[in-house]
Amino acid sequence: MSTLEIKDLRASVETKEGRKQILNGVNLTIESNTTHAIMGPNGSGKSTLAYTLAGHPKYQVDGGEVLLDGQNLLEMTPDERARAGLFLAMQYPVEVPGVSMTNFLRTAVTAVQGKAPSIRTWTKELSEAMERLRMDPKFAQRSVNEGFSGGEKKRAEVLQLELLRPKFAILDETDSGLDVDALRIVSEGVNRAKENTGMGIMMVTHYTRILKYIKPDVVHVFAHGQVVETGGPELADVLEEEGYDKYLPEGTTESALA
Amino acid sequence: MTSSPEIAMPAADPKDPYAMPALMPSSADRAIRSFDYADFDIPTRKQEDFRYTPVERVEEFFQPFASSDDVTATVGMIDGSALPDTVTVRTASKEETGVPAVGEPADRIEAIEWAAAPSELVIDIRADTPTPVLVDVSGHGLDLAALHIVIVARPHVRADVVIEHTGSARLAEGVEVTAMQGSELSVTSVQEWNDDSKHVGGHRLRIGAEATLRHSVVTLGGDVVRLRMDQDFDGPHAKSDMLGIYFVGAGKHYEHRTMVVHNHPECMSRVIYKGALSGEHAHSTWVGNALIEPTAPGTDSYELNRNLVLTKGAIADSEPNLEIENGNIVGAGHASSVGRFDEEQLFYMESRGVPERQARKLVVHGFFKELVDQVGIPQIDDRIMATLDARLDESVAAPIAEKADDGTANNNENYAHNQEEN
Ligand SMILES: Nc1ncnc2c1ncn2[C@@H]1O[C@H](COP(=O)(O)OP(=O)(O)OP(=O)(O)O)[C@@H](O)[C@H]1O
Ligand SMILES: [Mg+2]
Repeated sequence: MSTLEIKDLRASVETKEGRKQILNGVNLTIESNTTHAIMGPNGSGKSTLAYTLAGHPKYQVDGGEVLLDGQNLLEMTPDERARAGLFLAMQYPVEVPGVSMTNFLRTAVTAVQGKAPSIRTWTKELSEAMERLRMDPKFAQRSVNEGFSGGEKKRAEVLQLELLRPKFAILDETDSGLDVDALRIVSEGVNRAKENTGMGIMMVTHYTRILKYIKPDVVHVFAHGQVVETGGPELADVLEEEGYDKYLPEGTTESALA
Repeated sequence: MTSSPEIAMPAADPKDPYAMPALMPSSADRAIRSFDYADFDIPTRKQEDFRYTPVERVEEFFQPFASSDDVTATVGMIDGSALPDTVTVRTASKEETGVPAVGEPADRIEAIEWAAAPSELVIDIRADTPTPVLVDVSGHGLDLAALHIVIVARPHVRADVVIEHTGSARLAEGVEVTAMQGSELSVTSVQEWNDDSKHVGGHRLRIGAEATLRHSVVTLGGDVVRLRMDQDFDGPHAKSDMLGIYFVGAGKHYEHRTMVVHNHPECMSRVIYKGALSGEHAHSTWVGNALIEPTAPGTDSYELNRNLVLTKGAIADSEPNLEIENGNIVGAGHASSVGRFDEEQLFYMESRGVPERQARKLVVHGFFKELVDQVGIPQIDDRIMATLDARLDESVAAPIAEKADDGTANNNENYAHNQEEN
């Protein structure tokens, strides 16, 4: 049983116009085996929250804490956070030319598990995991994410999620850009990972359609860099009906504010 | 320019200079060739061939000097075994006739080298030699030295030669390679000099009819290394592979200039140079000249240079030049790029648990591995990869290529003269 606690997290980014505050005191606690959906307007800071948790150097933490089972994540480098059990499936996965998927995955699994998997079981595990996600085996030989379609990149993220077996997974719009079949396949991958590991999930999404496959225990509304409302799964349906207007100052959109 | 009557010479299309022969008035290959250094001006950055060269750092090689004994060259087999009787090694005087050398020096540095070298080290391979021949060139001090090596593979012979440069030296070296008709020869020149070393010179290469030469240059150490490779053919249906691998650390200048001259029909050439740069003022230059003469219908030529800039403040010059004087060719292409390993790639890999140092290693290995395999000398593969790792480790403390947070890619710091894929 693990806990990820985010307390009053504040973060900013350096822009051409100067420093810009994006996270304005985020409070959120996620336990193992629970799924939290985070929904909110464009530009409200959801990806920034995800990146800040994972340790992206672009985002400066200005206050607050993040504890994984009491360990202060904010003092760790990104790779240390991953080894502590955090995983981020990115909204826009990065291409790494020249590094093959298979070599990268093996290196990552070795780093996270602290020892290299035996060649024989590893090859089998990888090909089975890829097959379950309906990924062509040829992808293993291709460079990491290079030339992958949007949907293929998302599958590759979930493949890593399954292989790395984190304690907590942050899924940043993993459902965006997926066709109906891919949505189901990817969701099944996430559910499998959760069943196998009992991980906690923080799932950023704009659409209720994925919530049919990955059932959230809690739904949060995220606006102007904060969690502004928390409810049960039914909150997602209300948001779908009514939008985010009531969470925004009158006559503005979040993007115009930002 | 005159052309043989059977070769049609249509007019060049300015929109697509590579589709049609460009009737260019002059060519690098028609520059002066001479054994007499007085025929060449002292290099300055105003000269096309020295445009990228920090001439002040190699000016000691522009004036005649008497070669010291600070550099020694010994010939053996790469596995330590005795020289087989398929290989004859001897020291020849430069006046000796009958040494099948390739041609005259192509610049002042080569002419000075020729004048300074006391003799020629001739490696004559007369029959198939499965184990690579190793020429061990060691530097024992920084007094100027000159060395001239002649390598010959007799007709239909298969052989590999590795020239290894280690230690500390200031060396002008000339290498002449002849792959006679039907032979299959590989020559690999590895530069693993200490940081205080300088190495200039040139390789002059001639490939006979139906012969294959694989010429590789691996430059991983030294302060300044500047090598030019001039290659042409001695008959039709020959193949030239010119491979290059370099890793340039802070403050170093490594320059490789390849000149491929297609002067016979239906020959094929491939030039592939790849380099990584790391550290302040790391500087690499690749200039790839390819000339397809009217006498070379059916030519298939391609050159590629890729650079991976790992940190801020490193500069990679990359310049392919094609001159096509023959409309009847199979292909002539080039590609050149300078890419950066950036913060986003590093973060992505780190976010999967991979430590920074290992992430860089993955990228650098991925960049070079295939080319190292292509060099085709298994006895040195692992060492090349290990040296690349060591060079990388030395530079890991340096800051990373790009802080993405200012939103401006620092393209000016890492510029390419040609970033198009063709
Ligand atoms: N590196 C950056 N430089 C400048 N502005 C940034 C940077 N990163 C984020 N921002 C700004 O911070 C705000 C929050 O961005 P973020 O990507 O976190 O939003 P989001 O909630 O994930 O939006 P979406 O739903 O569109 O994915 C936006 O206004 C964005 O433009
Ligand atoms: Mg986002």
